[in-house]
Amino acid sequence: MKSFLSLPGAQTASVLVPSLVACFVAGSAASLQAQEAIRFNRDIRPILSDNCFSCHGPDKSHRKGGLRLDIREEALKPGKSGEIALVAGNPEASELVKRMLSTDSEEVMPPPESHKTLTPAQRTLLKEWIRQGAPYEAHWAYIAPVRVAPPQLREPRLVRNAVDSFVQARLEARDIQASPEADRNALLRRLSLDLTGLPPSISEQKAFAADQSPEAYSRQVERLLASPHFGERMASQWLDVARYADTVGFHGDQNQNVWAFRDWVIASFNRNQPFDQFTIEQLAGDLLPNPTPEQLTATCFNRLTMMTREGGAQAKEYLTKYTADRVRTVATTWLGSTFGCAECHDHKFDPISTRDFYSLGAFFADVKQWGVYTSYGYTPEPELAGFTNEYPFPPEITVESAALTKRMALLERRLGEECKNAAIPPASLEQWKATAATFLQTYPDGFERPVVENRALLAEKKDPQSVPAEAAGDGKVKKPERKKGPLELQIRPSAGWVASLGLTLQPDPANKANITRSGKDTTLKATFKLVRNGKAQPLKIHRAVADRSKPDYQNGFEVIGVQGGWKTNGVAQPHQAIYQLDKPLQILEGDLVQVSLQTGDAKQPDCDITQAALAVSPFVPALSGQFGLNTDLSDPASLRLAYLACTGADPAALTRIRVLERDWLECRNGSTPVLVTRATETPLTMRVLPRGNWMDESGELVQPETPHFLSKPAGAPERLTRLDLARWMVSEQNPLTARVVINRLWRQFFGAALSLQPDELGSQGEPPSHPELLDWLAVEFREKGWDTKHMVRLLVHSHTYRQSAQLRAELREADPANRLLASQNPRRLEAEIIRDNALAISGLLNPEIGGPPVKPYQPAGYYQALQFPNRDYLASADEQQYRRAVYSHWQRTFLHPMLASFDAPSREDCVALRSNANTPQQALTLLNDPTFVEAARFWAARILQNPDATSDAERLAAVSADALSRPFLPEEQTRLLTLLGKLRAEYRARPADAELLLKVGAMAAPQGLDRIELAAWTNLCRVVLNLHETITRY
Amino acid sequence: MDYLVHSAGAQADINRRSFLYRSALGLGGIALGDLVGQRALGAAPAGTGGVISKPHLPVKVKRIIHLCMAGGPSHVESFDPKPELKRIHGEAFPESFTKGQQLAQLQGATLKARGSFVDFDRHGKSGQQISSLFPYTAKIADDICIVRSMVTEQINHDPAQAFMNSGTILKGRPSMGSWMLYGLGAETNSLPGFIVLTSQTKGGGAQPISSRQWAAGFLPSKYQGVLLQSRGDAVHYVGNPEGVCQSVQRLVVDEIGQLNGLAAKEHVDPELQTRIAQYELAFRMQTSVPDLADFSKETQATLDLYGVKQPGDGSFASNCLMARRLAERGVRFIQLYHRGWDHHGDIEKNMPISALETDQACAALVMDLKQRGMLDDTLVLWGGEFGRTPMGQGSGRDHHINAFSIWMAGGSVKGGITYGATDELGYRSVENVVSMHDLHATLLALSGIDHTRFTYKFQGLDARLTGVEKSTVLKALLS
Repeated sequence: MKSFLSLPGAQTASVLVPSLVACFVAGSAASLQAQEAIRFNRDIRPILSDNCFSCHGPDKSHRKGGLRLDIREEALKPGKSGEIALVAGNPEASELVKRMLSTDSEEVMPPPESHKTLTPAQRTLLKEWIRQGAPYEAHWAYIAPVRVAPPQLREPRLVRNAVDSFVQARLEARDIQASPEADRNALLRRLSLDLTGLPPSISEQKAFAADQSPEAYSRQVERLLASPHFGERMASQWLDVARYADTVGFHGDQNQNVWAFRDWVIASFNRNQPFDQFTIEQLAGDLLPNPTPEQLTATCFNRLTMMTREGGAQAKEYLTKYTADRVRTVATTWLGSTFGCAECHDHKFDPISTRDFYSLGAFFADVKQWGVYTSYGYTPEPELAGFTNEYPFPPEITVESAALTKRMALLERRLGEECKNAAIPPASLEQWKATAATFLQTYPDGFERPVVENRALLAEKKDPQSVPAEAAGDGKVKKPERKKGPLELQIRPSAGWVASLGLTLQPDPANKANITRSGKDTTLKATFKLVRNGKAQPLKIHRAVADRSKPDYQNGFEVIGVQGGWKTNGVAQPHQAIYQLDKPLQILEGDLVQVSLQTGDAKQPDCDITQAALAVSPFVPALSGQFGLNTDLSDPASLRLAYLACTGADPAALTRIRVLERDWLECRNGSTPVLVTRATETPLTMRVLPRGNWMDESGELVQPETPHFLSKPAGAPERLTRLDLARWMVSEQNPLTARVVINRLWRQFFGAALSLQPDELGSQGEPPSHPELLDWLAVEFREKGWDTKHMVRLLVHSHTYRQSAQLRAELREADPANRLLASQNPRRLEAEIIRDNALAISGLLNPEIGGPPVKPYQPAGYYQALQFPNRDYLASADEQQYRRAVYSHWQRTFLHPMLASFDAPSREDCVALRSNANTPQQALTLLNDPTFVEAARFWAARILQNPDATSDAERLAAVSADALSRPFLPEEQTRLLTLLGKLRAEYRARPADAELLLKVGAMAAPQGLDRIELAAWTNLCRVVLNLHETITRY
Repeated sequence: MDYLVHSAGAQADINRRSFLYRSALGLGGIALGDLVGQRALGAAPAGTGGVISKPHLPVKVKRIIHLCMAGGPSHVESFDPKPELKRIHGEAFPESFTKGQQLAQLQGATLKARGSFVDFDRHGKSGQQISSLFPYTAKIADDICIVRSMVTEQINHDPAQAFMNSGTILKGRPSMGSWMLYGLGAETNSLPGFIVLTSQTKGGGAQPISSRQWAAGFLPSKYQGVLLQSRGDAVHYVGNPEGVCQSVQRLVVDEIGQLNGLAAKEHVDPELQTRIAQYELAFRMQTSVPDLADFSKETQATLDLYGVKQPGDGSFASNCLMARRLAERGVRFIQLYHRGWDHHGDIEKNMPISALETDQACAALVMDLKQRGMLDDTLVLWGGEFGRTPMGQGSGRDHHINAFSIWMAGGSVKGGITYGATDELGYRSVENVVSMHDLHATLLALSGIDHTRFTYKFQGLDARLTGVEKSTVLKALLS
């Protein structure tokens, strides 16, 4: 292979004209077709664009010699020097040819300081093109796609659909045979990984192997298209362009509530929402008539710019950044065009002007947003007054989540099981029930309210009103300074169980009927103590709920309950809260319960609240719904739960129950906030910013306009809206969208896009390898109602897709990059799928769809450079740990190291083309990341526990089928058996190591398995999870 | 095969089409869409060369250590004495300076001059002026070149750091360390070639920092900076799993290699050979990283020189010592962030703390490199992402982009000189103004790279570290 690498010089040696046949070697799509007639877009434009347009192109500010080569009429005119660059039909008379052949360093083009040179082949092509009359074509991507009939083939044996006709026509022209179909094992694995991002299970493999009907393959395609995992697989690519992440990206990189949008994307692909609707809802769902919550969720797309709340940041500067981000995103996502450079200057190679940039940005001038998401003294934002780094990024709406509802049902089921299985002696349950019933007869609302025994009253000791004011020497009445301190109350409850404490805050006439002395809202901390025999001991609180409160936030999420601090909500009405004790308390005669209320900071304890009352209850707060106690003694399930919570019986079960309760509460009744686009009445004034400088207000004002070099929206009203933009994107006026989307889709199934750079279809991109095919597919997509599943079906049914992925050694020289597609391309799996695949192989994968972000194991301290607020990373517990990577918490400034290693983008900006590296960090991750070690161990245990495979050979067969969808080759089998022996010996020698290994990860290793054997197989499974084939789709 | 596997014989200013051609030949044709420059190809020569096989310019430094004083140290309290500012302390700051200029937290405030709270003395034979907060740096006055006339374009930390590192605030752009590594490779084949360490002040003034600051952007991800962790594994996942001893790990890695080798007979997939090599390198890293973090062979004298109390404690001093160890091992670009210079308030209390935490170790690093004969081909760069206002902000100073100071030492950088100047109040750089792009051009030139010829095709354009505007190599600083 090395010999191929040192070939650069050969490129010049082998190119000959006029046959041009040998251009073939140059490897680009253009030269592959060089034996056909010269075509401007394919053969000439790339040369001119690369070498000439920088000084002789659309950017007028850098144009040299008055010459413009991107427009034919201009190039045929004399330049400043009087010479004519292009004389059609006469290369010798053309200044362009003279200059490119000149040996004078002052004359030669491109000039030496550009460090660009034309190859002899390129010079020959230019001459030949001029000789043929120097015909131009409009840039291919900017003219509407036209569907031509698929070509007829001499040998149509391997043609399954139109895709194959186009692909094989080019092969046939070169007498190259398409590759045969891949074997069934490989085909199913390929199809499964491509359509769902998951490998086929052994039973799926068996079913496919057994299905001998001609529809067998189609059936698999339909099964996989119908799988809910199809949406997950498709979503990853879209989330890259949408720059979807769970944090805001700038400075403190706080959380943003956006996961409902991710779930919407997954659901949209699953229900096969037509791509035009998909587009319209994301860009302008809020402008549709009576938008549904789903359509509003879709508009989160516009809100996924990075955002800041850094002190000292200037709102106007950041609003400019947010606009530029939207322009780049929309241009890359739908237009496949690089608009970024036009922020500061006209594009050098494409007709994109700065005016186009800012006019496109003007469509988003109505998006409700803030430059800086808090109110600082020097940049006040009245609507954000009081916002701290913990607050969300408005505007948000609350939407229902199917994932959360489903999770609640699961948790409820588990809660029921825990209650059912808890150790509860029936007699004591009955006794408790009877006592509770009696209590309720006396105290129907569940609270006993003993009289206040002691009140360390601010009024008595510290309240100015209770102390006579003194007249000073000058006769002015001087109020004594109020001493500050908490408000304390003590009550003496009756003997018996206490599970909760009730606290009521009351309006006080002394405070002008307000709750607080200041009349303002305050945050209250309540601490409780039990005083027994004169000794006070603190009472720990499990959770607390209030009937009136203002929301409090923790890194973007509303805090559940008020145990951490109770914010009053401004009304002069009583506020009530119930504090559930961490451990129920058996009150004895003479015990006192005490509360201390504090609103100031710790240094200067004070209480802005003057009137409060304390009560006790043997009951605990109801879990859901209305504020209040759960005093229902009729329902048997509820009764058991109440008994456990109210008596503390079976502490182990109670601990588990509380985790379930917490998780259940975090489902927030099945709803979640999500950032949305809300249109303001008064859009920002938009102007061209000279050189992108936001402080320069001398540029011309702009209105929303589509790029000037493409057709305008039909029947344009006065001021275009986002909805007009969205509809135009998917209209026939726009030649780009369908091509751009199909081009990206092609890459997903064939490894390389038809036009190699999905993010750049302009003149600096690559002409498509099969332009007629790309256009045929683009037209098909639009005419068949933007039906994504239809297009996927079309692609995967083609023979081109189904071919073997054995790259063809004999074509290495003729078609080194496999642009002709004489075989499939192998593709290393994407970052997310590498994780999902390992979890699926092992059996550890939790296939739930949707829901809040989850946190895979991550190296400790990874977020230590994050502040505002400081960050703790707690890996997800229970089965949430084993979710697919599309649900992983996406921290823009510190993406999970595993995802980052395998080239997942941080999503700070729109990305349409992921890189694909091969690094030692990837090896270290697969070898040592606990996720993969635990997966190996879980998998090994599953293999060892399978009653149908008891010999090493049978077990190896299962390993192979799980991971590779094929049997091990004899040589592999032999090697692995030998390895197994060595591993057993290692762990026999160091049994303590086996114990350590089996402790990796949160999931306990199953009991009853031989530890040495399990450790040995775990390492064997590690080997298989690390194989190149395991992380590659062939 | 090396850590930085690269395309053999590729040119600096890679033309993407011809690059595709070259790499594609080596690949036997696969996923060409993935190919935008990042394929690991063929057998690399010894060491880890970059795409620039033949330097454009004489190579003056082989490695760069960037001591990033993150948060933005005050220039008028470090390297730029301003008696006039002191004289008008407390008075209104002349509006002629500030009119129409960008402000950060001082927006809308009444601007008052705030004189330096420290004194400056002349130091060394050269008589360089250094404030009393930096007594150790004063000792290396003759080794360092002070630049007083820096300017930048971004006034908030996050974008300003991005601009300092990548020359742009566009996302997805490579940091200077990544560019260096891409161009030149590294002289190690068992450690990453671009390593980052962070530390945090015990005083006030720390700001968060994003891993994007050392990202490879559109360059292949193998060129990204690797953050050495002070807790847990120094490099993520470099330690064996619990219960996997070195001999078991060796068995596992060997077997992966053997089976991948068998697969290479079955599949024509050029990635396979690279994969095999990367596992070997990963295994080597598993050995070399613990060795790197083993400070036991450092003498007490060395520890004292740097002021290291506990090696590996995550302090800036320990990081400086680590920087020297990395430099010895052939790492190309080493970047230390000390998060602690954002002195909006309490500057008189907190700036001395930050100085105390860094001054001795910075000077020690230069001295240590010098005594080991490494300063001749190592560049040490000290500075923040911007400076601080000569106007007061309560008890501190706000962000300032029109003027700030940095220093450099090593390679062909002239020691004992001060370059550039600000106006009498330290508000604006007025003489020999140096932009971040000029600094980048100079770093590249010292490394033997002509910044105008060092480009990478991205989204159809020739991107470069120094951007599209003209930048100047600071030849006056170089001997």
